Amino acid sequence: MSQVYFEDVEPGYELAPLIKEPTREQLDAFTKAWGTTTGRFVSDEAAQTEGFTGVILPGNMSMAFLAQLMTEWAGSEGKLKRLEVDFRRSILPGDRLSCEGLVTDTEVEDGENRVILDVYIETQKGERALQGTALVILPNKP
Amino acid sequence: MAEVNPTDAIDFDRSVIGVEVEVGTHEADKDRMIAYAKALGETNPLYLDEEAAKSGPYGAIIAPPLYYNMFSLQGGLDPNVKFGNTGFDGGQHVEFFQPIRAGDTISATTQVASVYAKTGRTGTMVFTVRRTTFTNQNGEKTSVMDRINVRRDIQK
Repeated sequence: MSQVYFEDVEPGYELAPLIKEPTREQLDAFTKAWGTTTGRFVSDEAAQTEGFTGVILPGNMSMAFLAQLMTEWAGSEGKLKRLEVDFRRSILPGDRLSCEGLVTDTEVEDGENRVILDVYIETQKGERALQGTALVILPNKP
Repeated sequence: MAEVNPTDAIDFDRSVIGVEVEVGTHEADKDRMIAYAKALGETNPLYLDEEAAKSGPYGAIIAPPLYYNMFSLQGGLDPNVKFGNTGFDGGQHVEFFQPIRAGDTISATTQVASVYAKTGRTGTMVFTVRRTTFTNQNGEKTSVMDRINVRRDIQK
């Protein structure tokens, strides 16, 4: 994997989107690792009583896709320092998710090369289901 | 006219704000960490491959950043917000420190950091921010996470 460097980025830099198409099987594997056995993430019936068409993804699962986008981009020498995400819309298994990041600012502070990004997940309907900001520390070019 | 702070009108237990309580510990289990990483579709060998991770910078499998969500913890103090007929998970704001390694014992403390109301186009919403600090067995922080719960009235 190639390493991105602080000198490579400036405001307006767009990350290559991470595309995720979470399946029901993946959701079930996730809730199993979680130890969740009831409710809207597990049971279609429970989700329907809350007004959903069927099970939905936990916010902390889709948010983890944004964390993956950030950590894969930061590479082994970079570091995800902060991730602040608001959950705006529910995501269903089978949705096609584009996890995206846009650099809005860069600064050197306390000896750290800080990159500030807007991050979001857009669904196939063009809706931003999750939206927030991230702070990533990148290394200098050798 | 003086501006009225909408939070002043909300009924909740103000005495719990900022009071930190222990909410449990979690033993970071390698197999569970790997199952979590796989369910997310992670491909980083530091999360998935024990041999690769052993010779990596942390000497053991580490967990993806949001793994703390898998812990089963107590709820902490309840501000008992009396507002709205429905609640939802509004989001998370988290700061990362050390990664969680397989075999770590992570202890968690929680406080209700704030309760506030906002009135906008769609009415009033009340936000409860719970701040949880995760610390490993060496006393190093792994993350500090604000979970935001939102309460509102939905017209049926």
